[in-house]
Amino acid sequence: MYSRRRFQWAMLAPVILLLIGLTVFPFIYTVSSSFTDHYYLAGDSKQFIGIANYKRLLQDQLFLQAIWNTVKFMLLAVSIETALGLAIALLVESMRRGKKVLRVSLLIPSLLPPVTVALIWQMMLSNHNGIINHLLGWFGAGPFNFLMDVNLAFRTILFIDIWQWTPFAFLLLYAALQAVPRSQYEAARVDGAGKLNIFTHITLPNIIPTLLLVILLRTIDTFRLFDKVNILTGGGPANSTMTVTQYIYRHGVFNLQVGYGAAASVIMVALVLAFTVFYIKRSIGGSEQDGHR
Amino acid sequence: MKKRMVALVSIVTAVSIMAGCQSSSSTSANEPTKLVIAARGGTHVTAMEAVKETFEQEHNAQIEILGLEAADLKQKVSLDSTSKNGAYDLIMADDPWMPEFGEAGIFANLSELGVEADADFEESSLALGKHPYETGDLYALPFAGNVQLFFYNKELLDKHSLSVPQTWEEVVNAANTIQASGDGAGYVIRGQQGNPIVSDFLPIFWAHGGQVFDDNWNAQLDSEAGRKALDTYINLLAAGVNYEQTDIVSSVSEGRAAMALGWPSWFISEGKASANYAPIPSKASASDAEASTGMIGNWMMGVAANSENKELAAKFLTFITSSESQKVMAQHGGVPTRKSVYLDSELSAKFEHFPVQLEALQNSVARPRTTKWSLVEEALGAELSAAIAGTKSIEDALASANHAINQIMQ
Repeated sequence: MYSRRRFQWAMLAPVILLLIGLTVFPFIYTVSSSFTDHYYLAGDSKQFIGIANYKRLLQDQLFLQAIWNTVKFMLLAVSIETALGLAIALLVESMRRGKKVLRVSLLIPSLLPPVTVALIWQMMLSNHNGIINHLLGWFGAGPFNFLMDVNLAFRTILFIDIWQWTPFAFLLLYAALQAVPRSQYEAARVDGAGKLNIFTHITLPNIIPTLLLVILLRTIDTFRLFDKVNILTGGGPANSTMTVTQYIYRHGVFNLQVGYGAAASVIMVALVLAFTVFYIKRSIGGSEQDGHR
Repeated sequence: MKKRMVALVSIVTAVSIMAGCQSSSSTSANEPTKLVIAARGGTHVTAMEAVKETFEQEHNAQIEILGLEAADLKQKVSLDSTSKNGAYDLIMADDPWMPEFGEAGIFANLSELGVEADADFEESSLALGKHPYETGDLYALPFAGNVQLFFYNKELLDKHSLSVPQTWEEVVNAANTIQASGDGAGYVIRGQQGNPIVSDFLPIFWAHGGQVFDDNWNAQLDSEAGRKALDTYINLLAAGVNYEQTDIVSSVSEGRAAMALGWPSWFISEGKASANYAPIPSKASASDAEASTGMIGNWMMGVAANSENKELAAKFLTFITSSESQKVMAQHGGVPTRKSVYLDSELSAKFEHFPVQLEALQNSVARPRTTKWSLVEEALGAELSAAIAGTKSIEDALASANHAINQIMQ
């Protein structure tokens, strides 16, 4: 028994060490740095300054705007991507022909690296030579300054994110739809249930765990929105696309104010947890219940 | 038998290792010494690649050039600077980074490595490599002599019988005339938040007699000069458009916009300019005093303080910034920093913009020399962006900029 337990620990040791090295240590280091004035180029001369970084952050209008922009972006992107992903999944599921081709082609945007996506859209949205403004011109509209107009920049980045990540939601939800027992549909049809009733009483309850997973993953991911903003707008115009990650990058990475950037990161982690704790609890609760069954 | 086998294998392994060590030490004497350059990507790398072979042959060296995007370069160099043995032997730096890099000891003192300040370098460029600015020891040499110029589409101006504007008042008037005619945008601003809008606005601010800081490092944006300059900038936007770099170049070059500020390398390639150019107007209006307005934006190069090959790196730095190298590099997109190269008759005949660029360099202005310039630029850029977007009034934006910058400088 003893040797078996020792063997189990030996097998787990590499993973535990990796977890400590890549997650636990960086987390502790980040939290401890957030209470210092650590400036990377100043070497080891950092000093403990208590909660001064947090105070400064919460008094900084730009940081507060970055939080608001990020939360707004997260709520809009996650709800639209999930709804669209579900709609497309239902549509593809109901198709008799062309499923395979559509499944693969729909996934292409989510396979592209975010930087590539940002650069492609930068070219397409160009005021002068971009294809989008050319196309709009044929219909007598535009040209629009998508990335530098304060009324358009946020929506443009939101649109690009939806374009890229709706296929991800589609993929997971489509897989969940495949797992719904056919017998339930057949029984409902025999009982004379309509399409709406079948969806709300059979499809939706069956795919709820996956739906929550999609929401959880997209919530975490949209909070980390960075590449598109950094490449396309730099947080502007007038800070309308400034996100928390862009703020952290400018202060903590580009300007090397490690302490200040760490404090902003801790706040961001707290926010992500606040928005995802419900889903995480549901997921853990769900798997524990499954385990007890 | 088993023990004998183990002993045999051990002996063979030991002998192999020793032989390996011997062979590696015997070949290392002839192996070239490798120098790694952390460089700004693009034409700078192409220019260096064009001349490096001569140095490699003369010094039995191997030059590896890593071309990086500006923000990436700053980040990588900064992170590497705390290592005992650095990954880079030579480092390129945008000139506003020099105070921060100088303070952090990222560059080796060039005088101690036998590299002396050469009078042939344009003074305004050479001053950027000293820490403290202008008066201190030499830590980097000017590698690329960028300076902002005023670009215009001659056909559009001629069509409306307009001469090249000499003041910002004339620029606004010309822009209004062209915009009203429907022939194209009168002026293109580069209003992306951050470095672009700050670089685009400061020459206008300087022309109005403004200074970002007073002698005690108090912000001076919220001033008469600041308000007039920002009003001019917003008027220019009203008489034109707000584009990013690629669209600025194509619109002015193709005659869909009349005027813009820009860096030479955007419009001029291999001696051919896609738009006409002139020094940036140096006055707000005809009755105002002249001011230096051409923003200098040199790329500097220095020896990394944690390089293991400082002497050889210093030799390469001397080589790559020499008159001979700069003449060759100019043919491959390099931007000279030496007067003798700009005045070379053969090159001047091919690169017609050299006299204008030299004049602009000689009348150039460096951005304030503070270790906190990146943060200042960030704060100012956000407020300027708010002003042109109309989310803040000119007064509010400048007051906020002043407040934010003063907080940064505390």
